[in-house]
Amino acid sequence: MIMLARAGRFALRELRGGLAGFFVFLALIALGVAAIAAVGSVSRAMTEGLAREGAVILGGDIAVTLVQRQATAEERAFLEGEGSVSEIASLRGMARRTDGGDQALVEIKAVDGAYPLSGMLEVAPGGVGLDPAKPLQALADPELLTRLGLSVGDALDLGAARLTIGGTIASEPDKLATGLGFGPRLLVTRQALDAAQLLQPGSLVQWSYRVRLPGDADPLAVSARATERFPEGGWQIRTRDDASPGLRRNIDQFTQYLTLVGLAALIVGGVGVANAVGAFIDLKRPVIATLRALGASSRFVVAVYFMQIMALGAIGVVIGLAIGAAVPLLAVRLLADVLPVGAETGFYPAELAIAALFGLMTALTFALVPLGRIPDVQPAALFRDVSAGLPARIRWPYLAAAIVAAALTAGLAVFFAYDRRIALMFVAAIAGAFLLLRLVGWLVMRGARMAPRPRSTEWRFAIGNIHRPGALTASVVLSLGLGLTLLVAIALIDGSLRRQLTGAMPDNGPSFFFLDVPSAEQTRFTDFLAKEVPGGTIESVPMLRGRIVSVAGVKAADLKPAPDQAWVLQGDRGVTFSATLPRNSRLVAGDWWPADYAGEPLVSLESRVAEGLGVALGDSIEVNVLGRPVTAKVANLRQVDWESLAINFVMVFSPNAFAGAPYTVLTTLAYPGGGDAAREATLMKDAGRAFPAITAVRVREALDRVSDILGQLMLAIRIASSVAVAASVLVLAGALAAGHRRRLHDAVILKTLGATRRQLVAAFSLEYGLIGLATAVFGVLAGSLAAYGVVAGVMKQSFYFAAVSAVGAAVAAVVITVALGLAGTWRLLGQKAAPVLRNL
Amino acid sequence: MNVSDAASSALISLSDVELSLGSGPARVHILKKVSLDVGAGETVALIGPSGSGKSTLLMAMAGLERIDSGRLSVGGIDLAQQDEDGLARYRGASVGIVFQSFHLIPNMTALENVAVPLELQGRRDAFSRAEEELRLVGLGHRLTHYPSALSGGEQQRVAIARALVAEPAVLFADEPTGNLDETTGKQIADLIFETVQRRGTTLVLVTHDNALAARCGRVIRIHSGIIDGAEPVRSAAE
Repeated sequence: MIMLARAGRFALRELRGGLAGFFVFLALIALGVAAIAAVGSVSRAMTEGLAREGAVILGGDIAVTLVQRQATAEERAFLEGEGSVSEIASLRGMARRTDGGDQALVEIKAVDGAYPLSGMLEVAPGGVGLDPAKPLQALADPELLTRLGLSVGDALDLGAARLTIGGTIASEPDKLATGLGFGPRLLVTRQALDAAQLLQPGSLVQWSYRVRLPGDADPLAVSARATERFPEGGWQIRTRDDASPGLRRNIDQFTQYLTLVGLAALIVGGVGVANAVGAFIDLKRPVIATLRALGASSRFVVAVYFMQIMALGAIGVVIGLAIGAAVPLLAVRLLADVLPVGAETGFYPAELAIAALFGLMTALTFALVPLGRIPDVQPAALFRDVSAGLPARIRWPYLAAAIVAAALTAGLAVFFAYDRRIALMFVAAIAGAFLLLRLVGWLVMRGARMAPRPRSTEWRFAIGNIHRPGALTASVVLSLGLGLTLLVAIALIDGSLRRQLTGAMPDNGPSFFFLDVPSAEQTRFTDFLAKEVPGGTIESVPMLRGRIVSVAGVKAADLKPAPDQAWVLQGDRGVTFSATLPRNSRLVAGDWWPADYAGEPLVSLESRVAEGLGVALGDSIEVNVLGRPVTAKVANLRQVDWESLAINFVMVFSPNAFAGAPYTVLTTLAYPGGGDAAREATLMKDAGRAFPAITAVRVREALDRVSDILGQLMLAIRIASSVAVAASVLVLAGALAAGHRRRLHDAVILKTLGATRRQLVAAFSLEYGLIGLATAVFGVLAGSLAAYGVVAGVMKQSFYFAAVSAVGAAVAAVVITVALGLAGTWRLLGQKAAPVLRNL
Repeated sequence: MNVSDAASSALISLSDVELSLGSGPARVHILKKVSLDVGAGETVALIGPSGSGKSTLLMAMAGLERIDSGRLSVGGIDLAQQDEDGLARYRGASVGIVFQSFHLIPNMTALENVAVPLELQGRRDAFSRAEEELRLVGLGHRLTHYPSALSGGEQQRVAIARALVAEPAVLFADEPTGNLDETTGKQIADLIFETVQRRGTTLVLVTHDNALAARCGRVIRIHSGIIDGAEPVRSAAE
C-alpha cells in the first residue's frame, strides 16, 4: 500500500510534463468510449421511451389483433367487461384524385369514436380532427397530399366513397403498433370505411381492439384470462409493457451492432494506445534508468508508469463519456421525425459505466505490453548509447496479464451483447484479424529482407526501411489493416444488400401486385389487364390468411423451430390452394396431388421451412383460416425460387381444403420485355378508375421504399463505422508520427551524405506506398471474406462483390498512408543538418 | 598481474572479475580477471583510454552491470548473489552515483530530485533532508526550480546532492566534470572532494582528466579490460 502511495506520488510528478505526445492516445480512447456511450444512451433513451409510453404506443393497456375477422359479440363483451374498448380496422387501399388524375397506395386506418384511448392524435394547424358528425372526412399524411397534389379541404376517392380531407396528421400516437407500411397513412372513420366498400370476404384487413383498463388492473392477468377464455380465437395479444416487441428487438439488435462497431473502434484505437505508450516509455527510458540507478525496484517503476497510463486513460474515458452522454441530446432531436418513440434524453449511468469499463479495459490491455518492457530497461543504459530503443523482450507476467485483460474485455463484449453468438463471432474475427495482420506485417518485412537489392537508391532505401529493426511496417499494417478491413466489409455488405433490392429485379418479374381482387371479379379484372397490356403475363392465385395452430399434434407454442424459420409461426401467413405445382418451384419430396383430388386435405410445404419446423411427409398441420380450423396432411415439399418475385407461398393446400370459403385473389402482372415508369403509371390510373376497391402495389415503388429504409440503416452503420475508420486513421497518423524521430535522424544523415530532397521524398513515398499496398491487398481480401460471411452465412443472401467499392477503399488506404507519412516527413526535409547532428 | 592494493578492511573487493557485453558474435569481453580492493574512506580514480572498460568496472561495482565470473562484494554484500531488486536496494542504501550527463528527472524540481532516494527508502524526513543537502551544495535558493531552469553546474550540484543525501558508503562518479566548463568543473570537483572527505565517504571516480585523477588517493589505470597499474603504489609487475 505504502509502495503504491509512493508510486502514485511519483506518477503525479511525472504527469507535470503535460499531455504532449498523448493527444492521439486520449483521442482514441475518447472516440471509442464516446461511440459506445452514445449508442448505449440513445438506445436506452428509446427503449425507456417504449416502456414509459407503452400504453400510448399500443393505443391502450392491452391490444388484441384479429386477422380478417371482427370480434364476435361474445368476444367484444368479454373485452368490454375488462375496460373501455376502441375498435380499429387497418388495411391497404388506393386513394385517388377525384378527377382520376392520380392515385396512391395508402395504409388505411379506420377508427371509432373512442380512438385514441391513450395519447393524443395531433392534427397540423389549419386542419380539423375526425368528427363523428362528419363521417366522410379523413386525415392524411402530408406525404399523401403532396403526392396527389391535394390540399386540406379537397376531396379524394377511396373505394366507392368520396372523402373530404379534414387535415393532415401531425402526430399519430399509436403509429408504431400498426407497424411500418408501404404507403402513407389515411385515417378515416368506420362509417367512411363502410362507405368505401373495401371490406370484402377475405380482404386483407386487421381488426384491432384496444382496451383501457381500470387503474389497478394488471394487463398480463387480463391477457391470461383472454387466452384461457378464447384459446382457439387466434388472438394476438400485446400489453403496454411490451407494446412493440418487434421494434424493441430491432433496437436491441441494432444497438448491439453499433456497440460492436464502437468496440472495433476502441480495439483499433488500442493499437494506437500501445504505440503511444511504447513511444512514451521509450522517451522516459533515461528517467526509468535513473530511478532504477537510484534504487527503485522494477515493480515500483512499472507501478509509476502504470498509474500514469491509467490516469491518462481515465481522462480519455471522461472526455469520451462527456461526448457520449451529450450525443443523445442531439440524436433524439434529429431522430424525432424518424422515430415516433417519445425518446426523452436522460443520463444513463449504467450505459456510461459499460462504455467506461470498455475504455479502461482497452487502455489496460494495450498498455500492459509496452509496460512489460520496463523491467528490462537497464540502469547501465545511462552510461551507454541512449538511442538503442526499448528492449524487445516483454516479461511473461505482463504478456500473460495483457492476454487475460484482452480475454476479459472480449468476455465483457459477449456478456453485454444481445446476441452472444454474433458477439462471439465478432470477437473471434477481431482476434483473427489481429493475428493475421501480425503475420502480414512479418511477411512484408521478411519479403523486403529477402528481396534482391534494387539498383535504384530510392528503392533500396525504401525496401531497407521496411524491414530494418524499428521499422514502421508492423504498426502501420496493424492500424491500417483493421480499419480498412472494416471499411471494405461494410461497403460490400451494403453493396450486396442493395443489389438484392434493386439490381436483382428479374427481367421477367412482375411490375404489379394487385391485392384484394374479389374472387367474383377475378375474370373481369384479368380481362381488363389483358386488354390494357397485350402480351403481358398475368397470374392469379387465391389468397387467404392462416395461422399455424399445431404441427404433428404439437401446439405451435410448444414447437422449437430453427431460429431462422421461427417467423412462420408468428401470426398469420398468406396461404393459397392450387390444383397444380406453382411456377418457380420444384418438388423435392413427395408427389403433387391430382387436379381432381377430393380426399383428405393435403398441404405442400416449402422445404426449408419444413426442415426448420421439423416437419416430415405425412405429418399433419392444423391451420386456423378465417377463424376456422383446417387440418391437412403434408403431401410434398417444394423448393421455391423466391428471387423470381413470382407469387409463391410457404403453404399451398389442395383446393378441396377450402371449398366454399370466401377468399380474394392476388394477381401479378409482368410486362412483355419489362415495364417502364410511364406505362405503369397509366395502368395504375386506369385500373384505379375501373376497379376502385383493388389495391395496386408497384413492385418498383415497394422495393424503393425498402431500399430507402435500408439506406437509413446503412447511413447509421456508416456513421458508426466512420468512428472506427477515424480511429484507424488516427492510429496510423500516430504510428507514423512516432517514427519521425528516427526519420529525422535518417534524413539528416542521408542529406549529409549528399541525398537530395527529391530522393528522400521518393524513398519515403515508396516505403509508405509499398506498406500501404500490401495492407490494402490484405484489407480487401479479409474485408471481402468477412462481408461474404455476414451476407451469405448470417443473412443467408447471395453475395455480390462490388469491385469498385473494394478497390476504391484500397486505393484510398494507400493514398492516405503516403499522404500522412509525407505530411510529417516533409517538414523534416527542410531541417538544417548541423543542429540536428549536434543533438544526435 | 592485476594490482590489488590489499587494504586490510576492504569496503569494495573484486577478485578475478570477468565481464562481457552483447551476445552471439557481437559479444565483447570487457573485464578480464580484474582484482581490486578499495578501503573504506579511500578515494580512487579509474583512468584509461576510451573503451578500456573503466566505466564498465564502475557500473559493475555500482550494481548496474552483472559480472560473468569472479567475486565482487561491496560493504560485505556479494553483488553476484543479488537479484535485480536486491541490487536496487543495494544501490538505494549503500551507493550514490553521479553521471556525466547529470540524469536529473526533468519533471521534478531540484528538491524532489534530491528527495527521491530517501522517498524510495520510505524516509519521512525525505524533503527536509533533501533541502539540507541542497543547501550544503549551495543551492538553497533553487529548491523549486526544474532542471531545465538550472545551469549545467547547478544540475551537477543537484545530482551530487541526490547521490549523497542517503549518506551512502560509496560515491561512484562517472566523468562528473566531463560536461562542464573548466571553472565550473573545478568547483564541482572541489565540492565532491570536500564532501567525501568530511563524511568519510569512499569515492570511486572515472575520468579522463589527469588533474582530477591526481586529487584522488589512488589512481588505477585500465587498459583493454585489465588493470594496468596503480599510482602512487605501483605494481611489481610494472
